[in-house]
Amino acid sequence: MFPELGRFALILALYFSLVQALSPVWGYYKKNSVYFKLSKMAVIGQFIFLSFAMLSLIICFINNDLTVLYVREHSHDLLPLIYKMGAAWGGHEGSLLLWCLILSAWTLAFSIFSSLFHPDQTELQEKILMVLGIISFGFILFLFATSNPFQRDFPDNVIIGNDLTPILQDPGLIFHPPMLYFGYVGFAIGFAFAIAALIEGKLDKEWAAMCRPWIILPWAFLSLGIVLGSWWAYRELGWGGWWFWDPVENASLLPWLSATALIHTLIVSEKRSVFKGWTILLAIVTFALSLIGTFLVRSGVLVSVHTFASDPTRGIFLLSYLTIIIGGAFLLFAARIKYFYQAPHFKLFSRETFLLVNSIVLLSAVATIVIGTLYPIILDALNAGKISVGEPYFNTVFIPIMLPLLFLMGLAPHMNWGQQSFSDILKKLNFTFFFSLILGFFSPLLLGFEFHLLTGLGLFFGIWIILATIQYAYQIFRTQHKIPLQNWSMIVAHLGIAIFALGITINKSYSTEKQIKIAPQESVQIAGYHILFQNLATSKGPNYKSIQADFLINGTRTLTAEQRLYTAHQEFLSKPGISTNIWRDIYIALGNSISDDSWSVRLYYKPFVRWIWFGGIMLLIGGFMSLLNYLIKRRVVKHEIH
Amino acid sequence: MKFIKYFFPFILFLALMVLLLRGLSLHPSEVPSPFINKPAPSFQLPSLFDRNKMTSNQDFIGHVTLLNVWATWCVVCAEEHSVLSEIAKNSNVVLIGLNYKDSQAEAIKWLKKRGNPYHIIGVDQTGNSAIDWGVYGTPETFLIDKKGYIRYKQIGPISPQTWEQKLKPMVEKLQKEE
Repeated sequence: MFPELGRFALILALYFSLVQALSPVWGYYKKNSVYFKLSKMAVIGQFIFLSFAMLSLIICFINNDLTVLYVREHSHDLLPLIYKMGAAWGGHEGSLLLWCLILSAWTLAFSIFSSLFHPDQTELQEKILMVLGIISFGFILFLFATSNPFQRDFPDNVIIGNDLTPILQDPGLIFHPPMLYFGYVGFAIGFAFAIAALIEGKLDKEWAAMCRPWIILPWAFLSLGIVLGSWWAYRELGWGGWWFWDPVENASLLPWLSATALIHTLIVSEKRSVFKGWTILLAIVTFALSLIGTFLVRSGVLVSVHTFASDPTRGIFLLSYLTIIIGGAFLLFAARIKYFYQAPHFKLFSRETFLLVNSIVLLSAVATIVIGTLYPIILDALNAGKISVGEPYFNTVFIPIMLPLLFLMGLAPHMNWGQQSFSDILKKLNFTFFFSLILGFFSPLLLGFEFHLLTGLGLFFGIWIILATIQYAYQIFRTQHKIPLQNWSMIVAHLGIAIFALGITINKSYSTEKQIKIAPQESVQIAGYHILFQNLATSKGPNYKSIQADFLINGTRTLTAEQRLYTAHQEFLSKPGISTNIWRDIYIALGNSISDDSWSVRLYYKPFVRWIWFGGIMLLIGGFMSLLNYLIKRRVVKHEIH
Repeated sequence: MKFIKYFFPFILFLALMVLLLRGLSLHPSEVPSPFINKPAPSFQLPSLFDRNKMTSNQDFIGHVTLLNVWATWCVVCAEEHSVLSEIAKNSNVVLIGLNYKDSQAEAIKWLKKRGNPYHIIGVDQTGNSAIDWGVYGTPETFLIDKKGYIRYKQIGPISPQTWEQKLKPMVEKLQKEE
């Protein structure tokens, strides 16, 4: 019964999205605000029915209803309950349903909070709800037409489920896709803001202030989603790496980069009334990249380690959808952007210029990743042969683009709006500059580590950002006797990037790995650690068999590396044993048995690897601080009105 | 005409859409090889561990061969490598490697770390031989019979299932042929 109810709920949600999109237009012609209220009601209705559809799907999984095709393909009797629930979005259909549900949740949040905090901005809100309604309608239609998760199928003989792909049976699966989607999908609101501004022909301070939290919050979620994904790959894929430049990873990085640029131009638009065209363009591009990411992942155009099932009609539908929504937005942009031109009132050496350079650099980074990811298709489409683009390309092209940005990051907060004297900034920062330069380049030598130019450069820039940012915080504290929350959010986010950069630099430069053949009671040395292979045990999990190897590190701590055989898929999965502290990870992956008692084992020593993810989490904290600041400020403003 | 530049994002976007539309009709993982049941393209490449030694079509004669195209920069190859090691251990099919567009030092390091399942490895630094073979990515594996004819082409990694269900029965059949 639940599959039918879920399907029915989807139909209702589809109609509600249509009402949400059309009633503001109707209200505009009728000059009646009742229709705006109707649109808001439709938002609520849509959210309720999509939640119900998702719930029905989860119930199908919990009941292990194998007559539902989607459940049969992704579940198994013996799959643990928590993964049964997670499996609801482990495949194509379910993850699209999640996409729609999250869009509807964002829309609901927007409709509640914007009328609470900006009750006078109804015209803007109407247009935003209309745009979001159109986006939602398209996606629910897509779900309905090509990817129905509730499709029934009654086979003749007894059936068992296909089981969830073993690699996805990890706590990471429960949180990683929803987080990514909260990020991706959230950018729809920023996109709707941009369209509304284009329709109205104006972008003022109020617009920018109102828009900001709806960019920063998805951006913070996306940061967390990327961090979770990278952490998941690190633990599950067993290769000891944390980023693979896989198309699916690139798809999540692209909107993140352009949203980062957007956050910065938005500040300039709010404070200095310039770069309005840039802000609008970036808002469109960010959402476009989210959609293109969805397309790339879902259509099977690219082959990746994530490989999902592909179906050409889905690709065609998504592509038409993209062309209508984003192509329409770009046309509108071309037609209306002349109203937003503002003569620049700043000098070349100023904070404005730096923030402009920031967005140009980030967009160039986006372009290089897009080219690298699509290059195989471009060549193929031109019949010029088939190739694959791998890590060497991205490392060669991406790193030199991003390095100067790290340098600018330390500098930009110290720049004045409008104009900055060069000698002032030199005086202010020369000590910090030379101190971090020396520390960055000489500390590896002094501590007796191998030295590479890129290591020195990475350390220098990381330390430079930290010191320059702390200096900036100290200056604010000296003049204002406190540090406002808005500044805190920037400080924390920038320090997060610095920690991230230091983590990558040290990890890349000083990681070591060994692949060895080892038998129980033999031992091995890696990076000064003595590792003893203690014993081997076998056990049985709910849907897999496993072999566990215990390793004793320095005679004190035990690590267990595991090799699982998932019975339904007949697929092996290596679960590495990882010992963690803030300075390093020791990572042991059990390979194949070589002879009766000896095994192939891979050992990694990974210094500072946790810093990479910790930096990402600081971005999230920075984002939430900025949001908190917005909430507090808005409350203050409201009190003043009363 | 002054504002024509504002159409630039739209034009760029449209070009991208056309490209993606074209991309949809391409099947990256389903390209049939025109070489099936034909003699393997002739090639002669220096061997990875001994540059004076040559790998060529002669190495196919008299036994069933799996020619595996790999590279150290290919993430999936690392995953496939453990399966190949199993095959090398448990089956008497001859594994020949084709190291594709790679650094030789890296390749040697990679194999020293992971073990070498290959009988011999040809180095194709320019990728020219790979073009003759119709290789477009890594990993790819060709099944070659005792007379040096290509009988099957596997695109993408060999998983334990594809080996057990597809390749192994074919290898066993070919081994019975004269």
